[in-house]
Amino acid sequence: MRLDFTLNNRPYRLEAPDHWTVLDLLRDGLALTATKYGCGEGVCGTCTVLLDDEPVRACLVLAARLRGRTLLTAEGLESNGAPDRLQSAFARAGAAQCGFCTPGMLLSARALLAANPSPTEHDVREALAGNLCRCTGYTKIVEAVLAAAGPR
Amino acid sequence: MRLRPFALVEPETIPEAVEILARLDGEARVIAGGTALVPTMRLGLVTPDRLVSLHRIAGLSEVRVDKGMLEIGAMTSLSALMRYGIVRDGWPLLAHAAARVATPSIRSSATLGGNLCYAEAASDPAPALLCLEAQVRVADSVGERVVPIGEFFTGFYETAVAAGEILTAVRVPPMPEGARAGYVKFCPRSAEDKPLVGVAALVTLDGAGRVSDIRLALAGAAPTPIRARRAEAALRGETLTDAAVRAAADAAAIEADPLSDLMGSADYRREMIRVWVRRLLLSLR
Repeated sequence: MRLDFTLNNRPYRLEAPDHWTVLDLLRDGLALTATKYGCGEGVCGTCTVLLDDEPVRACLVLAARLRGRTLLTAEGLESNGAPDRLQSAFARAGAAQCGFCTPGMLLSARALLAANPSPTEHDVREALAGNLCRCTGYTKIVEAVLAAAGPR
Repeated sequence: MRLRPFALVEPETIPEAVEILARLDGEARVIAGGTALVPTMRLGLVTPDRLVSLHRIAGLSEVRVDKGMLEIGAMTSLSALMRYGIVRDGWPLLAHAAARVATPSIRSSATLGGNLCYAEAASDPAPALLCLEAQVRVADSVGERVVPIGEFFTGFYETAVAAGEILTAVRVPPMPEGARAGYVKFCPRSAEDKPLVGVAALVTLDGAGRVSDIRLALAGAAPTPIRARRAEAALRGETLTDAAVRAAADAAAIEADPLSDLMGSADYRREMIRVWVRRLLLSLR
């Protein structure tokens, strides 16, 4: 099938098999590997991407759903080689250990801050509830998101 | 791991969709948000040759009020449903139950129609819709029929939607005047899980504080979401005293027919039904 969509602020037009998910298209079709394959069942959250600014699980969404829409992955966060505010906050807080969950965490956190620029710690924990960190580094991840948010 | 290859069909109207379903050979499945079907396919539990996706059908994601009835298109996402002002104001029980499903990145894809068609016994929206006495619109190549939500769930992961039919919308009558309602879910593992048990209640009290209308529905308490009719009967005409609430919670635990699985045994579920029915009813006094 033919797909036209916007990915990380660039227009794309490409052919993809019917049975591909957004995750297959990113990793295997476009070699964009920031978006990880974790559980493949929508549980772990490491494949979280933003579709029209809403967080979705790339492993669950069929690639056909991209037509005419806008996708943002972790590769699209930095601008001119400089990390964005959340990435900087994660680096400063030491919010990554093995790093496998980090791309999904960054995108879930970005969606939260877009909807709620001054979240409470509870808001942050709720927004990240579907992003598992098996190094259990949640404390520093939550601190990083709160640091990146505006003052309450 | 890739999904097993299938052909994807993307009709643009409901008549086109049901016509495609009627003439397809092999195993065909309807896909909405995919949050239930895709994992099921990935596990190899279903292996469709074709998927009919509803996402291009205009109007299936609309939410509107028609003569006092809330009409929710089947493809409305749970995140949209919980954000609509008309739903939050007029049907807060449903908005609240939708907001309790999984996580933000699941709710943004998951649809109300898909949640009902998957027929998970531990659905969050189903008990709310049972209390609200919703109706489900189902279309096939001949026309349309309306199924009361009380007749929609027919068995373990089974519904009244037959092969060749599509759930198109859910209609919800207005909340009874002065009714109080709530939904609670108990998740022993993590907050974004499906409920071990979920309890929804809608209670109307008369001027003397007696229960004039009570609707109590349970998730995770039987092979399908159910109304707890015996518990309702135990409360009708009563005031919500500690003793009356305890008697109703006992009745709900007895009439429940829970399954044992990795989340918990049938006995544990029955005990948690007793606890959470009591807590919810006490909170609605």
